[in-house]
Amino acid sequence: MGLQLRQTFEAAILTQLHPRSQIDIYVQVLQADGGTYAACVNAATLAVLDAGIPMRDFVCACSAGFVDGTALADLSHVEEAAGGPQLALALLPASGQIALLEMDARLHEDHLERVLEAAARAARDVHTLLDRVVRQHVREASVLLGD
Amino acid sequence: MAAGFKTVEPLEYYRRFLKENCRPDGRELGEFRTTTVNIGSVSTADGSALVKLGNTAVICGIKAEFAAPSPEAPDKGYVVPNVDLPPLCSSRFRSGPPGEEAQVASQFIADVIENSQIILKEDLCISPGKLAWVLYCDLICLDYDGNILDACTFALLAALKNVQLPEVTINEETALAEVNLKKKHYLNIRTHPVATSFAVFDDTLLIVDPTGEEEHLATGTLTVVMDEEGKLCCLHKPGGSGLTGAKLQDCLSRAVTRHKEVKKLMDEVIKSMKAK
Repeated sequence: MGLQLRQTFEAAILTQLHPRSQIDIYVQVLQADGGTYAACVNAATLAVLDAGIPMRDFVCACSAGFVDGTALADLSHVEEAAGGPQLALALLPASGQIALLEMDARLHEDHLERVLEAAARAARDVHTLLDRVVRQHVREASVLLGD
Repeated sequence: MAAGFKTVEPLEYYRRFLKENCRPDGRELGEFRTTTVNIGSVSTADGSALVKLGNTAVICGIKAEFAAPSPEAPDKGYVVPNVDLPPLCSSRFRSGPPGEEAQVASQFIADVIENSQIILKEDLCISPGKLAWVLYCDLICLDYDGNILDACTFALLAALKNVQLPEVTINEETALAEVNLKKKHYLNIRTHPVATSFAVFDDTLLIVDPTGEEEHLATGTLTVVMDEEGKLCCLHKPGGSGLTGAKLQDCLSRAVTRHKEVKKLMDEVIKSMKAK
């Protein structure tokens, strides 16, 4: 998962603005109940923003699956353990570009569109939340600094 | 200007405060930072607690699993603590195998469990010689700002109070263990050890609950673990400047008061949880 996180963030962080530097991202999972990769990406996005490291866009991630003809977004541990196809999607919401897409188990190509759409929609919802939180934090911080 | 002085001469900057009997964060020499505790936040663990001592944050998760008791002690279970100081809590730690500080902290917690007899290992035995509980206690530091030992001890105690073990019976015919998840009981916590840490400055001055900066400038540290009957469970003084007997007595009395503070806080939290 460390490798996946690295690949995801290399696509988003503007590393050319920090030449000859190393950016370490440490993630600690306190409780795992499915969608661990997605939670790590969302947390790391906020942490990188908090550190003031410039990024191309937010990176928002969500998992999705396919059960009985229905696409499900954000699988819990029980749903993941059921053994159906699972998809992990990391999205750059503003441009709609996909930073990382990974899928396990067999899924008919006709269904891929729907599952991908479910994951993308959920990722955009996460983006709305993260955006609101970041703006509020900046507002509070600037009030405290007395600007 | 003060920030510049602090960077160039941190010890002198500190001494100016100590002369006025206070510290840069406004505390007195014998004052602890604000302590907060959250019990039972990790629902996938059998018991958990998050303790914050000022900025220092430690989370403890306890998992109970089955194990065969050792032949030398067939009626005893195991309690296995592990303290993890990951790079995310402080830039002084690198990823890889546990560093010296993490290993010392793990051993310290193991000693506290052993010496204070917080739980009787016999209580963890299900069937002598065949099956016993092993409690894996994982303590992870989320933010390192000094006084890690106090935070770990408190987190461990709070998490152990939160652990609920299901009833286990051994089926006579199949000789397999049957777990009844509907009937759970709390652990029998016999004592409540509470740690109080001190830092020694310039070989003479003692301050309680050092922050990360204070630990760095200190010439020695001391940790005292007390339980409720005023019994000393553990005394940890890893080298550093010497202490007179009188100073040690002062530390012990401060540890007794700290025990009362911590016990009160924990009882309040547990009461508020049971009320739900």
